[in-house]
Amino acid sequence: MLWLVSCGSDKKDEAEAFLDELEEGVDAPAISEETINDILQQIPAPLEISMLMRESGADYDRTILSDPDNVSNYNTTFKRAINLGIYGTDLIYTNIFGKNQEGLSYMKSVKELADDLNIGQFFNLKLVGRLATNNDNLDSLMLITTQNFNAINKYLQENRRANLSILFLVGGWMEAVHINCKMSMDNPEVGSLAERIGEQKIILENIMLLMSFYAETDPNIKELHEDMKKLQEAYGNIQITYTYAEPTTEVVDGVLVIKDNSTSTVHITQDNVKEIDSVINTIRNKLTS
Amino acid sequence: MKILKYIFIVVAFTFVREEGKAQCSPTDQLKVCIPKLAGGFNFLKSYEINGRDGRLEKVEYSYPFAKGTQYMVNLCSSEGEANGLVVTLYDSSRKQLATSVVNGQHVSAIVFTCQSTGIYYITYTFDNSTQYCGGSALGFKR
Repeated sequence: MLWLVSCGSDKKDEAEAFLDELEEGVDAPAISEETINDILQQIPAPLEISMLMRESGADYDRTILSDPDNVSNYNTTFKRAINLGIYGTDLIYTNIFGKNQEGLSYMKSVKELADDLNIGQFFNLKLVGRLATNNDNLDSLMLITTQNFNAINKYLQENRRANLSILFLVGGWMEAVHINCKMSMDNPEVGSLAERIGEQKIILENIMLLMSFYAETDPNIKELHEDMKKLQEAYGNIQITYTYAEPTTEVVDGVLVIKDNSTSTVHITQDNVKEIDSVINTIRNKLTS
Repeated sequence: MKILKYIFIVVAFTFVREEGKAQCSPTDQLKVCIPKLAGGFNFLKSYEINGRDGRLEKVEYSYPFAKGTQYMVNLCSSEGEANGLVVTLYDSSRKQLATSVVNGQHVSAIVFTCQSTGIYYITYTFDNSTQYCGGSALGFKR
């Protein structure tokens, strides 16, 4: 409170509004917390989507990432939470390509946004900074980053701030799809990149369901939900077909190895990728402005 | 006076029993489980398994598995190794794919090579467990 008194009136209004927003939160949706947490689990970690990019032979491209210096523009809880997810994916992307020094800029922005959301306790900048100085530590760096993000999600869900968890996960997911689209357009011969984009149709359905629970009570989520309906339309052109077959199993060195004999096929063209990219760009520009 | 003495004994006995019952702390088991993911597997998620002293029959999580990716799910029981814990994997149609009890023997990890993208269900149950407590880590590699 002393800090509030000592600030100028604009800063005071901004800070008070933020504190009010935090305290009031949003009305809980009619759906149970358990159901929400169940669906939240089904949003994939950006690490997994991003790993494919390095393996596909695609080059690192810094220009497609969000600017880490924009952090001061994000002055609402909504923007902080969604951009925390976006920066989180960018951080993982830099990690995967071994661009540790650039990763540190993202780590600082992530820490700043997390502090603003009162969840900064999950980041140890000193430790990450130490690991980032050497590429041999890449596995440890990714492990710590993944553990931190998992801890944030758990904390938000346990503290009845699942709406922030959704924004954080959606931001991270959308950035991963955005990067994947750019890489696919640059490397159209790598079918696995386009296929991975198409597979996200399953995830998008869950995201839309989650957001619909909060759209009635949170105007920011409502607006994002409306924007994402256009993404859902773009995904409407993509088909995923399945063929089921019994799996086979064997025990190897005390581990049960299961061979999946079912298959799924994603029907996606480069025109579909371009359309998805275009819709994501429009939404992302709004979120990162 | 006799009544007071009786109450004291009952209360003291209750406290001793509660003390003797180990608290389930899945976080401790996760610390064991994450480093136990086999080489080449990248850590994705950790799952707490707390059967609440046997009051829960199963603990279930779900995750989207992607075609062309290998996933490992391991088990760390508070009773040591995978003792008392069973993991069963189901596909998006809830068809059982495999379980960690093979011919009556418990294995401590399963590896699934996914060829069909979708939401998969990872279910933990208890078999002759005394503590109903453990952790599990999910890793992936391509």
